[in-house]
Amino acid sequence: MITAEFMCYRNLAIDALSIKPGITTIIGANGSGKTTFLKLCAGIAVPDSGTLLIDDAPPRETEIGWVNEFPDRNILFVNVFDEIASPLRFRRTPCDEIDSNVIACADAMGITHLLTRALRELSGGEKVLVSLAAALVHHPKVLVLDEYDSHLDVHSLEKIEQGIRTSGADYVIRCTQQMDNAIHSDFLLFFDSGRITLTGTPEFVFPFLKDTAYYPLLWGCR
Amino acid sequence: MGVPMTKITLNRVYAVRDHWSLSASGTFNEGVHLVSGDVGSGKSTLALMMAGLLPLSGGDIEREEVTTSMLSLQFPELHVTGLSVAEECESWGVAPDEILDAIGMTGKKEVSPLSLSRGELKRLHLACVLVKDYDLLLLDEPFSSLDCEEKVKLCAYIGKKSQGITVIFTHEQNILPRVKRIWEIVDGSLVDCGIPPDAFQNWHHVPPAIKKRIALGSTPDNISRDDFLEAECRTQG
Repeated sequence: MITAEFMCYRNLAIDALSIKPGITTIIGANGSGKTTFLKLCAGIAVPDSGTLLIDDAPPRETEIGWVNEFPDRNILFVNVFDEIASPLRFRRTPCDEIDSNVIACADAMGITHLLTRALRELSGGEKVLVSLAAALVHHPKVLVLDEYDSHLDVHSLEKIEQGIRTSGADYVIRCTQQMDNAIHSDFLLFFDSGRITLTGTPEFVFPFLKDTAYYPLLWGCR
Repeated sequence: MGVPMTKITLNRVYAVRDHWSLSASGTFNEGVHLVSGDVGSGKSTLALMMAGLLPLSGGDIEREEVTTSMLSLQFPELHVTGLSVAEECESWGVAPDEILDAIGMTGKKEVSPLSLSRGELKRLHLACVLVKDYDLLLLDEPFSSLDCEEKVKLCAYIGKKSQGITVIFTHEQNILPRVKRIWEIVDGSLVDCGIPPDAFQNWHHVPPAIKKRIALGSTPDNISRDDFLEAECRTQG
């Protein structure tokens, strides 16, 4: 379980929260605290007070895969292969193992054709696909994805949804503004002004948002 | 003699890189156009070429009655020139107080634009862009990072535009404005899918929700959320 108790960080405050393994999607307005929460889950930030634990351990002691909402801010290296290989190289994984893992991961993301390309030449969506591959290649326990889907087409998204589900990560915590994607989640958190105001399955949460722009179009008048 | 029409015509325009190419022909008349296409298909490249910011590998672009044009890039951070939000507004010739009040960011005047959340930065950027009218307005992924309410507001703004050519290059599937014509990039070529709703038949990238509606026998008139809900509710009486 991911648990938060009396946790405060900047404008975000969560008294009690527990998230089961699976895919959890965060929705809410710009500035409501979604990215802040994701940074805490990834260990990029630590709470000012209270606790946030992943299976009883702080995020910084947990294997995390992270994708930033600004695609360019994920990039450390010049070419795609080096970028995807980097989490394994930082761990001093043997070279042949790195090669086979990078190739398998690129294949799963449908980006084998990009492996020799320079990142600066890629489109926004392609950069996101590379960042996702780099986040998944070391098989993290927790995958934290900040609006990874806003630069992706429907076909790429289907492939990635599959990749995420079969990644072996115990927890996927992601935020999105695509409600038709959010319905494919085990658990939803709705953020409003630094507070979590709704939690539960999509079937439970979305009816509360029925007359808002957050109601999934795919569900229409149901 | 009628009133001269604003239009932009692409005559066998193409762009080539190592193992990649894009070709585009067609005329964009006044009104709102949507261009869809897979990741890496060349939407941003086409936007840059239409804006005159990228040399063409071949072909030519005719602009008629287009005296002002603007390209809003996919990544708002690439537009930033000011050290503070106020400076950024001023760099667009916009009074900071007025615009920040309008987008609910009054307290952020002295903050660095690059420390804003991506959604906030996109909102600020679009507000600065949309304050003026352009004969040709090219919006590359304008909906990315905006929350659902903001997407609705942007659609309302675009829907109200009465003149000029607006071209939206996007992956957005759910919250879209009513458009005059739909285009898509397939196998390296720009294809004119036509006018909605007939365009849906030719459109590879038709959003899943619209596809579902068509399968159920009530095709929406256009691609906006209102059109979709109208079609859905029509069948449910």
